Amino acid sequence: MNLPDYQFISAPLWLVTVLHLLTLSLHFMAMNFLLGGVIITLWSSAKKRWDGPTAVRFTRIFPAATAATVTLGVAPLLFLQLVFHRQMYSAAIVSGWFWLFVVAAVIVAYYALYRASFEGQRTARVSKAALLLALLGLLYVSLVYSSVFSMTEQLGLVRDLYAKNQSGWVWNPAVGDYALRWLHMVLGAVTVGGFFVGLLGRHDVEVFATGKRFFIGGMVAAALAGMIYLMSLEQLIGAFMRTPAVWALTASIALSLLSLHFFVRKHFWLAGVALFLSVMGMVFARHTVRLLMLAGQFDPASLRVAPQWSPFAMFLACFVVMLVVLAWMLRMFFGAKKSEA
Amino acid sequence: MSYPFWDEPIGYGVLMAVIAVLHVFVSHFAIGGGLYLVVSEHLARKADDTLRLEFLEKLSKFFVLVTLVAGALTGVGIWFIIGLIAPTATEALIHNYVWGWATEWTFFVVEIAAAMIYFYGWKTMTPRAHMIVGWIYFVFAWLSLFIINGIVTFMLTPGQWLVTGDFWDGFFNPTFWPSLALRTGVCVMLAGLYALLVASREQAGAFKARTVRYSAGWGIAGLAVTALCQYWYWKAIPAVVTAKALQTMPTPIQSIEVSIWLAVGIGALLVVFGLLAPRKLGFAAAAVLMVLGLVWFGAFEWFRESIRKPYVLAGYIYGNGTEVANTERYKKEGYLAQMAFKTGDDGADLFCHACRSCHTLDGYKALKPAFDGMDRAFIAAIVRSSHLLRGNMPPFLGTAAEADKIADYLSQRIDKRPLTEIYKLEGSKLGRKAYELRCGKCHVIGAASDKSKSFAGQSADDLNSMLNMAAELGDGMPAYTGSAAERIALVAFLQTLGKGGRK
Repeated sequence: MNLPDYQFISAPLWLVTVLHLLTLSLHFMAMNFLLGGVIITLWSSAKKRWDGPTAVRFTRIFPAATAATVTLGVAPLLFLQLVFHRQMYSAAIVSGWFWLFVVAAVIVAYYALYRASFEGQRTARVSKAALLLALLGLLYVSLVYSSVFSMTEQLGLVRDLYAKNQSGWVWNPAVGDYALRWLHMVLGAVTVGGFFVGLLGRHDVEVFATGKRFFIGGMVAAALAGMIYLMSLEQLIGAFMRTPAVWALTASIALSLLSLHFFVRKHFWLAGVALFLSVMGMVFARHTVRLLMLAGQFDPASLRVAPQWSPFAMFLACFVVMLVVLAWMLRMFFGAKKSEA
Repeated sequence: MSYPFWDEPIGYGVLMAVIAVLHVFVSHFAIGGGLYLVVSEHLARKADDTLRLEFLEKLSKFFVLVTLVAGALTGVGIWFIIGLIAPTATEALIHNYVWGWATEWTFFVVEIAAAMIYFYGWKTMTPRAHMIVGWIYFVFAWLSLFIINGIVTFMLTPGQWLVTGDFWDGFFNPTFWPSLALRTGVCVMLAGLYALLVASREQAGAFKARTVRYSAGWGIAGLAVTALCQYWYWKAIPAVVTAKALQTMPTPIQSIEVSIWLAVGIGALLVVFGLLAPRKLGFAAAAVLMVLGLVWFGAFEWFRESIRKPYVLAGYIYGNGTEVANTERYKKEGYLAQMAFKTGDDGADLFCHACRSCHTLDGYKALKPAFDGMDRAFIAAIVRSSHLLRGNMPPFLGTAAEADKIADYLSQRIDKRPLTEIYKLEGSKLGRKAYELRCGKCHVIGAASDKSKSFAGQSADDLNSMLNMAAELGDGMPAYTGSAAERIALVAFLQTLGKGGRK
């Protein structure tokens, strides 16, 4: 009996890649807001900078930001698995326990953020402790992701590690390969967090100034870490410079600065759009680095394409419905809040 | 074989069950709870019942905390765990159903947003808008179930997909509709049970009585739908699968029996405390109902998982990740040649890829006690005939040399002393143990494979002769390789079986 072959991708690679990178960028925006927001809120409350209504307001949003981070994280993980399943599952399996505990860490962080959100200013100590716990959970997730996703690009390393230890308690020992990338990501989160602090506290001079400080400081530090990371790629630099990603990266840097420009002038929509496009450019650059690292081992273009257009049409139709329904619900919700105010 | 093997000590079945049972319970409750909330809100607003509205607002807070956090994240957890324990099957599912999952994701996004807006909008939104958001939540949550149900049922009954490979053939498979109806019933039942739990904390009085009665109605309605659909579901599973289960697979059948008794118990409690004496419903009784609901649903899921054996994707991929389509390649080239990740210990690699997905050495479904006191030749024979063991084991498709390597690996880790020493047994007890270990792996007493009757009237010499030629008695029968003392005890025990003694 000839059974169906499952080793194919059900849409052209470019389409899957676009969906992957787009949803990953959206996920990064939500995740950066969350991680950066928690870091800045904790820092500010420790310094007693804006231990007032804005911090409370910010804290109240964290559960929704977590929901957005999780839901927007599902789609890129799905598209990533579709193309890079061999690399991803293999790396995840050697770090099985660390990988599985990501779920537990997010649950703990999520509940802690709800606790902080419900607690508000009633018991600041409880609220801070909850935020700190959430931060630890989020940092754990970011470290595991950096460790595992770095391994996905080095199946030789995965093979060596697996030969020595099959228990799932293996942490990627090549810390140098991902420490700077992780740092760049955390500093990027602080940058985006700073943007949102400024946006939410735009009517309060002190809060806006705090947001601006983190936005600028985070951007400078993230750029530094990113550049050093790029330089650390050594033999890949030449190849990277010959790909369109170098233009995407250049555009990203320009868009970041443009975003800062609009932010300072309080044109938040324009600043936000520029920031998102900047993140997209960096995501594209990161994707290119992955492909370069995998060159010679795996080429996604080698995957057989067997489109499933009718299920894809179902997805597309539902995606549009999702956008319409979301827009309607948010309009109803915020419209009601406005009229209440 | 394309992936490394996660050699954790707990057992894949346990890990999967912990995450999946929690998720299916919360996710079904999330759907039914959404319906309960919005229907009840509609009725309460119509009757201008402020007490009930306050109750519903309270209910929605816990509902959001449970469903958005535990429900959503254990769903993500299932993604994580299946990628770790069944990467090949997950890969196959993703390649075939990526647009199904992507569609489900759009429903998931709306569901989560609607749940948050519904919860935070009690005081700020107009009643109409609030109820519309409630309905949106329920509809999208149910649509999420619609999609996932297609993929989950595909795993048990892929139907025509095995021939056509078409997305829709696999999605609308033979158990799709009964499973969808059954799960919808479960959603309604769990919503009622959860509302009862919350209502049980209310002060005794008229409000509590009518809320309990109303919620019990949900529980009973859901239970009735579920019970009917369970039969429909059973009939929709191909007869060849159910017949085999009835003959050789105790786990799914026991799971069904347990679920029937639990349904009776839940129904009785709902009638007594929900309809006849609603004021007397205390927290303990409501909690018992909730736990029974959880166990009932767990039993159903256990049934679904266990009747699918030896496959993880029926007719396509076995539980240990070996692919039906590659059968000839495995037989010709062996398993080791297919492994992309190796440890340097062939026996360990083979054991992991062939057996460890379901068995541990001395924990969950332990193999050590099953082989303690046995010899290498016997173990190798059992490995080679694994598909004959109780009908739920995948075939060993590797080479004979690879079966020997697994036998070597296992025999180095078991207790090699004779059974008399390991278990301190003698006489009929030793005979029963020898039977259990050497014969009972296939010939379960009282089951379809029971050969007890054929021993009737046979002398010890006859039975000894039978043991001498055991390897020739049938396909997969191992030769008798036990010690002389065990043989004497085993023969004596076989004689008691022939006389109808099964103690």
